Amino acid sequence: MSARLVRSASIVTVALLFFLPLWWVVASALRPENDIFRFLSEISIWTIVPNELTLQNLIDLWQSDFALAIFNSIFVSAMTVAIGLLVCSSAAFALATIEFPGRNLVFTVMVISFLIPFDAIALPLFNILRGYNLQNTYIGLILPGIGNGLAVFLLRQFFLNIPKEIREAALVDGLSHFAIFWRIYLPLSGHALMSAGLILFIFQWQAYLWPLLIAPAPDYKVAAVAIAQFATTWEVRYGLIFAAAMFISGIPMVIMIVFQRYIAASVASTGGKE
Amino acid sequence: MSPRHTYLVASAFLAPAFLAVVLLRLWPAALSVERSLVAPNATSYSLENYTYIFSDPVFQNSMLVTLKFLLIVNPLQVAVALGLALLVNTKMPGIGVWRSLIFLPIAIPPSVSATIWGVAYRPDGPLNAMLTSIGLEPMRFLTSPDQALFAIIMIVSWVGVGYWMTFLLAGLQDIPKSLYEAVEIDGANAFQRFRYVTLPQLRRPLTFVLVANTVANFLVFAPVQILTKGGPQGSTDLIMFQIYDRAFTMGDTPSAYAATVVLVSIVLVVVILQFRMMERSEP
Repeated sequence: MSARLVRSASIVTVALLFFLPLWWVVASALRPENDIFRFLSEISIWTIVPNELTLQNLIDLWQSDFALAIFNSIFVSAMTVAIGLLVCSSAAFALATIEFPGRNLVFTVMVISFLIPFDAIALPLFNILRGYNLQNTYIGLILPGIGNGLAVFLLRQFFLNIPKEIREAALVDGLSHFAIFWRIYLPLSGHALMSAGLILFIFQWQAYLWPLLIAPAPDYKVAAVAIAQFATTWEVRYGLIFAAAMFISGIPMVIMIVFQRYIAASVASTGGKE
Repeated sequence: MSPRHTYLVASAFLAPAFLAVVLLRLWPAALSVERSLVAPNATSYSLENYTYIFSDPVFQNSMLVTLKFLLIVNPLQVAVALGLALLVNTKMPGIGVWRSLIFLPIAIPPSVSATIWGVAYRPDGPLNAMLTSIGLEPMRFLTSPDQALFAIIMIVSWVGVGYWMTFLLAGLQDIPKSLYEAVEIDGANAFQRFRYVTLPQLRRPLTFVLVANTVANFLVFAPVQILTKGGPQGSTDLIMFQIYDRAFTMGDTPSAYAATVVLVSIVLVVVILQFRMMERSEP
């Protein structure tokens, strides 16, 4: 057997091992709830392949409180991406194009401050926002996600590469800085905006500690919190857990696969080559 | 344009992000420092909260558990990610698909991976079914003080290593082929090629992965809070859960603030040290 074949076989084996837990989630979500643990005493093909397919778990899921939690997650993440892109790209624009004394200092302070890990300061921030009655509000959920140092950094790097002659010509033509930002820079930055948007989305979609603290009320509970509480209720519904896991993981997975090449771009620039 | 006008325009663009930094990062950080210096029912500043947590066996245990966790999980994840990057850095049919399968778990939110692995770790769950089917004894996983931390390491590594792999793979693909050709002329074997070309060329992505990975692992919270609550016998009481537990279960906010300051300081020191290392490795 050639070395090449051995290597290919190892790659396929490793990839399938990584994929196995995900496959198990999908298989369990799509089989009758009673079958989830039924085929374990003797491992066979039916352990991981449903011998009977059903959508009952998904239907039950949508008729439970979980539908609202998924809606909350989608709404909060979409708002975070929309507002966050505006906030981060306008800051990145100023840091990349407007020359003013102390610009490097502002940039350094901003990047270093964002190095303070958000989860680590969740407790003091929770006490601050609770003081302003932002507990159990969408604002409380969205606020921490909109300022993202990585997104600012990424967009600034991209804006720096736009030739400054374009900007100078536009200024001579009488365009304001805002018009240059809105009508020239943003339309030129589709790829960078997508990867920054992806960073903002993933941060918010995956958040657990913060929504657990700031929005425990059923009306504002997000999906990541709701699924963890499924598993600790008195009568655990495993069918619902797997169906929920399939949804909450499936949405970011589809987005990541669709935007894969933009991830590659952001990976390259955060990998510290610039 | 007058300097005054330039400042106004720049401030207008920077204001929202600057406010976000000040209100959502710096203020809470400053607040924890200030509150951590006020002992319960005290009216003046002191280091009482710090002397209290550092002499508290529960907090000492949490620091030790966190240290043990980091000393195992960081080298393990970086080594596995590097091994995976080397393995998949090749051409074969469908290589993009195989890489994606390894990378996909990062899309799963931490509370979801914790929940589904919690089901897998059940005594009558699929993992024990697999163990017994190949003739091994079933394990206790999350209910054993000797195994629970490793069970959590397994979860966060399944999620993380494929992600770290992508950074190292990008680094590998940036190494000029000519470097390998040069040492091959000198008769270097596979190990020497790795030792004298690959490793030095990967220094920057490796340092970056080590920094980012260390910070991420300091912040592991969801699997502990969802699956073990720090137990059994405090064996999984990682620092993030310890702070949460102090503040919200025991209601001891002052000492939770002190623990927050300890955590943020350690993370910042680690980040700054590792960035220094990265700068020093500039050619």
